[in-house]
Amino acid sequence: MPREAEPSQNEKDFILKAVREGHRLDGRALDEFRQLDLKFGDQYGVADVTLGKTRIIAKVTAEVTVPYTDRPFDGIFTITTELSPMASPAFEVNRPTETEVLLSRLLEKTVRRSNALDTESLCLVAGQKCWSIRVDLHVLSHDGNLIDASCLAVVAALRHFRKPDTSMEGDTLTVYTPAEREPVPLSWLHSPFCITFSFFGSISVGEDGEEKDIWLLDTTLLEEQLRVSSCTISMNKHGEICQVAKPGGAPVEAVTVVQCSSLALQKVKDLSDFVDQKLAEDSKHRNKGGLLAELSAENAR
Amino acid sequence: MATQTDKVYVLPGDEIDSALIPSHPKHPLRLGPGLRHVPPSDLFPTTAGQLVTDRRKNLIWVESNGGRYIPAVGDLVIGTIHHGAADFFYVTLSDYTSNATLPQLAFEMASKKNRPQLHSGNLVYARVSLANRHMDPELECVSPSTGKAEGLGPLSEGMLYSISLGMARRLLMRKSAEEGKVVVLDELGAAGLAFETAVGRNGKMWVNSKDIKTVLVVGRAVTETDEKSLTVEQQKKLVRRLIKEMA
Repeated sequence: MPREAEPSQNEKDFILKAVREGHRLDGRALDEFRQLDLKFGDQYGVADVTLGKTRIIAKVTAEVTVPYTDRPFDGIFTITTELSPMASPAFEVNRPTETEVLLSRLLEKTVRRSNALDTESLCLVAGQKCWSIRVDLHVLSHDGNLIDASCLAVVAALRHFRKPDTSMEGDTLTVYTPAEREPVPLSWLHSPFCITFSFFGSISVGEDGEEKDIWLLDTTLLEEQLRVSSCTISMNKHGEICQVAKPGGAPVEAVTVVQCSSLALQKVKDLSDFVDQKLAEDSKHRNKGGLLAELSAENAR
Repeated sequence: MATQTDKVYVLPGDEIDSALIPSHPKHPLRLGPGLRHVPPSDLFPTTAGQLVTDRRKNLIWVESNGGRYIPAVGDLVIGTIHHGAADFFYVTLSDYTSNATLPQLAFEMASKKNRPQLHSGNLVYARVSLANRHMDPELECVSPSTGKAEGLGPLSEGMLYSISLGMARRLLMRKSAEEGKVVVLDELGAAGLAFETAVGRNGKMWVNSKDIKTVLVVGRAVTETDEKSLTVEQQKKLVRRLIKEMA
């Protein structure tokens, strides 16, 4: 199995030295994100996220299936990630690497378990029919910080998605084509975002030799290969933390984690505003004549 | 250099106009990268790019900005030591390709008792001494005729940047400012920065300086010039901006 190409000793030493002095290779501040871009496809539910040189596409699909027997009132919601060899030769088809497992676990915890999507609303006929919503995530180019970019892609794609409208008359369930009735958005409760902090050991500051952890936001692949540990905090713009994951690595002071979570809130607010703005632009672009509101058969909740 | 002023671009398998192929009374015709000779006398390009000829030295080759480095004899490259064995160092020239070998005695003043101590992850500046298809390339850090290092050898400290192969070739041109249209390094030097660089044909550039900030500025200037394919004017502007940011 091919391994990720390792950077040379000179690169490792230099980057660590530069980070300790507060510099990064691309001239960003330590807590600055790379250029972020989000595009929606012609279809509903396709989001294309570019973060620096990292590029991710998420696609949402829906189909009518039978619900799980132990949860007859819930719909089915799955997220599948695929890291193809196109992103990096270190990835192989059908053999998930540690990165991939961690990524899908984190997305699962952030989006699914935080109840961002109301699965009960996907139920059509209790115990017999429900919607199955599936998100496919493709990493097209891997230059670090896959987690934050993937989470943004998943959330944006799900919020952009419209599922076909349905109606029940007696015992017959009708699924309408987009031509008959305008598709309806999913019942979305809140938008969680992941912010990953990468730690690079600690330096002593001040005269009393107080230790201070150094951390970076939005690391590139090279920086990611050199970090000693990382911590991913997921929260929504109201500051509700969905999960905190720190998978192994060097220990970090509790104070640092608290500081990180307050900074994460600020970044999440930025990301949330960014997605809202892009969604608004897209709906404005689609809704040229202002006819969508008339076409919709959805009732106010 | 090329006598015709308009540039000729070729695609793989194109027929090359016989008027473009140089002929010389004394020197034999020498083919550079990107061309394939089919005996007895057919010549085909194997890559897409610009056809360049040198009538004085009777040379012809295709200049392209390919993605993967293919070693050729005489190329200066920057490699990373992968591991060492009894008589050889195994050196990585580009990621996910098989290693090149560097004999432990192919250094200046190296003998059985006095060998360079290199460890996995160290960088070396070397020349390709043997490159055949389907064989691992061989490197050397010493000139076989003079026995001197001539600037080759281990590179300590500094930072390694990845650049495109085309950019590496432009930087290595004898007159990189006129022919290659890269002036960033000259401009940075003129602005008073003190740094040293080594450029490898395999798309690597090593930069070192006493000041970390200088290394960062040089690296950013060259990678940005490469990625955005800046013109000479834009390069000058970029250097002025970076110097201002640094101060």
